Amino acid sequence: MSLLEARDIVAGYGHGDEILKGVHLTIEADEIVAVIGPNGAGKSTLLKTIAGLLHPAQGRITLRGEPIHRLPPREVSRRGIAFVPQERNIFATLSVRENLEMGGWLDPAAIRRRIDDVFARFPMLAERRGRAARTLSGGQRQVLAMAMALMVQPVLLLLDEPSAGLSPIAAETLFATIQAINRDGIAIVMVEQNATQALAIAHRATILVDGRNNRDGAAAALAADPEIRRIFLGATPTEL
Amino acid sequence: MLTDIVQLVLNGIMAGAILAAPAIGFTAIYAVLRFPNFAVASHATIGAFAGYCANVWLGLPLLPSAVVAFLVAGIVGVTSDSLVLRPLRSAGLITTTIASVALTIALENLVRLGFGNALRNYDLPIMRDWRFGGIRVGPQQLEDLAISAAAVAALFTFLAFTRLGKAMRAVADNPTLAAIKGIDADRIARIVNFIAMGLAGLGGMLLGLDTSIDPLTGFRAILAIFAAAVVGGLGSIPGAVVGALTVGVAEELSQLVLPSDYRTVVGFIAILLVLSFRPRGILGARAY
Repeated sequence: MSLLEARDIVAGYGHGDEILKGVHLTIEADEIVAVIGPNGAGKSTLLKTIAGLLHPAQGRITLRGEPIHRLPPREVSRRGIAFVPQERNIFATLSVRENLEMGGWLDPAAIRRRIDDVFARFPMLAERRGRAARTLSGGQRQVLAMAMALMVQPVLLLLDEPSAGLSPIAAETLFATIQAINRDGIAIVMVEQNATQALAIAHRATILVDGRNNRDGAAAALAADPEIRRIFLGATPTEL
Repeated sequence: MLTDIVQLVLNGIMAGAILAAPAIGFTAIYAVLRFPNFAVASHATIGAFAGYCANVWLGLPLLPSAVVAFLVAGIVGVTSDSLVLRPLRSAGLITTTIASVALTIALENLVRLGFGNALRNYDLPIMRDWRFGGIRVGPQQLEDLAISAAAVAALFTFLAFTRLGKAMRAVADNPTLAAIKGIDADRIARIVNFIAMGLAGLGGMLLGLDTSIDPLTGFRAILAIFAAAVVGGLGSIPGAVVGALTVGVAEELSQLVLPSDYRTVVGFIAILLVLSFRPRGILGARAY
């Protein structure tokens, strides 16, 4: 049984305004799946639907066989799916430590131990534990957002454009962090505009175009496909 | 002249400290639920009358009566929000705000139905003012100040050090992310309503201690409460304290140039100045 299965998902922001028009996505435990595609393809909408922020008009999402597509975000989170939105993904006015406490809201008994674990993994956050989160740089904010998600020991992490707005060096560090989190046994679905780097670290990838699956397969195979390289990876004809 | 100014500033600080309690209530509801709840006015009245019943009818001293004022206004706040305002919140800001005005009129008239229009006084010992040079300070004023300051300090401690207080700040900061993290926004809304309307009730009683109470006690104070919240930064709890002290002192100092009947105009002027020159208020919109 797959960790997560989304079948024939039709979803959007209102009746007659469907962004997803029958998307399917399967995630196995321990893998990184990249979701790439042009703007407006429905990548972020897919993550919001899995996270319970949107409910599909049609289709079914199961986590280890249990349906979750009608659950509110709180219950989805309780079942081990942690969503890190693209924007406003931290509590800017709370301190770094308070952000982590809120990240672990659903499991208060374990908060202290997990904060120690997070600080051991990300010493940068430990050094800034008392500072307001709004004072962190873009890369540090993304690390904090992911650390908050780790506070509930998720089985699946949903990352919406984690490298958006970061410098190339900060993005590279972030992708290394994502791989390290995955090595700890956490499956990751990552929506990314930076398709080259996303395919470089992902095991599998799905390409969405206009709310539908365009291509699915091994990330390395998709990255080597000349058509995909031309359309999504920005390769010039001489590079193909 | 200097003595007059010092006296007025002192009076303003006392008045501002009392105003801070309902102003914090007003701004806390705005921070979490994102609408200006003018029913704070009627809850100030309800608190004033609950404190009156405890003090005059049951013979309780001032401090336990203030606790009764807080609890009764808080409970009525949670109940009225659940029955009237919460079902309307999905209809938007304007609808909910207008409903809060309707709610405050209805609750004030319920108080009028039960207690009539007569002015009522608390059962307090008469105490002589203390004099320091030419400055007079009433012992009752100081007690009011201490009660209000203790309530505000307790609230700040709650927000800074408790799990629920931090969750309140998180919902005020980013409600969508709070929902993703599993924080129950409805539960937080009930807690905010209880604390906010409790503070409004406490403020209503403290306002009445200095003078008298009637069903319009809260209504007369709502402009100053609103002004304090706007001046400090609507949605900012420390801002409400700063705003209340600013409005309190400004109202008192206005007596140097205006007849005392015109004090309420200070609230309008304060709102006008803030909206013209610093629309986010003195401390901005950060909840804490």
